[in-house]
Amino acid sequence: MTTGYHPLVKRLLDGELSLAELPPELQVEGEEALRLVGAVDRAPVTLPAALEARVMETVRRHAASPARRAWRWLATPRELELRVRVRPWSLWAGALAAAAALALLVSRAPEPSTPQARIVPRDRVYVRFVLFAPGARRVTVAGTFNEWDQNAAPLVSAGSKGVWTTTLAVPLGQHQYAFVVDGRRWVIDPAQPAVDDGFGGGRRNSMVAVTAQGARTL
Amino acid sequence: MRALGLAVLVLAAQPLALGAQADVAARLEGRVPPQVVRAVRDIAAATAARGLPVDPLIQKAIEGGAKHVSPDRVIAAVRTLAARLDQAAAALHDGGIATPEADVVEGGADALNAGLSADQVRDLVHASRAPYDPAVTLRVAATLAALGVPPQQAVELVEATIAAGRAPADLLSLPSQVQASVARGATPAQAASGLGRAAAHAPGGRPPREPPPGQSNPHKP
Repeated sequence: MTTGYHPLVKRLLDGELSLAELPPELQVEGEEALRLVGAVDRAPVTLPAALEARVMETVRRHAASPARRAWRWLATPRELELRVRVRPWSLWAGALAAAAALALLVSRAPEPSTPQARIVPRDRVYVRFVLFAPGARRVTVAGTFNEWDQNAAPLVSAGSKGVWTTTLAVPLGQHQYAFVVDGRRWVIDPAQPAVDDGFGGGRRNSMVAVTAQGARTL
Repeated sequence: MRALGLAVLVLAAQPLALGAQADVAARLEGRVPPQVVRAVRDIAAATAARGLPVDPLIQKAIEGGAKHVSPDRVIAAVRTLAARLDQAAAALHDGGIATPEADVVEGGADALNAGLSADQVRDLVHASRAPYDPAVTLRVAATLAALGVPPQQAVELVEATIAAGRAPADLLSLPSQVQASVARGATPAQAASGLGRAAAHAPGGRPPREPPPGQSNPHKP
């Protein structure tokens, strides 16, 4: 298979040179090339109508659907050049508006820092209280957040394993509390620090700090 | 100067004292025996007249009623608490806060109740320069003491954390860090020592003093 003619022979085929203008060593190659080109049938080819219809049908079948084309149009990255002309006061107004919006977002919904607390309205946070009291018939929690009302916040038994739990909306601040088991026994929360309750007899209260970020040991 | 500040506080608090008496009676009615209502009303009026918060007194009386504590003991507990509020206010004043807000006074009283001395309260307030809130500083120290950290060591840990320039959030996390160390088997004093060393190694930090031998955990066996 011929890999290619000499550049001068190619110019001969292109009509840029005549055979006589080729150097003697290329004369044979030039004649051969002209002979081959002259032997080519240059009559126009007409495809049968059925073949054209078949080809076009196949092309349409493989063409992208309108939705696909639309998605491709949207997803294809393009270079855009945006020229904005602003006045300084409008920049400041925009910055102030953005700052106000940010402040509003930040002040609304801080994320809880512990899994036991989630945020409710601004001055309260949901706090989960848990006590392991196997054999207890009733458990409540009373403290400074509910004016020590031992009927205000009953805990619910979580299955038969002796785990009692409740979730309360507790005001922000430092609180003291205790669990009341079966309406008569005051029990501190073993998971939290405790302080003397001041009434003598060695009784103590648990402490919890409720902050906007959740409940913590403080 | 201190006398002048207290005098201004007392004069400004006179109208509050009258309102406090009625409020106290209304909140205690039906929750504690009548003699407790009367005694607490008088104690609260005197406390309010000195510009101090009375809500902790009412809460303490209600707590006593809920726990079926004898009237004498409830009144004694309320008196003790009122004295602590007074003591806390004086310590706060010595620490540089002439007219402390209610939560700072309550924080000081909590710290005293947890075992800190008035001098330690004063020192903590003095160390609580911005951005550290003295109320929070006092609460942290009180909580550390309640967890079993010796009071002096609790104070030094808080001061070391502040001196190291750690974020206020780091201060708030001290009690839970002590709890975590205790859960891993350390004594509260050992846990506080470790945290104190960590604070001292921070830039600008200084090491807290170690607890005296044999006094590592006076609150727990």
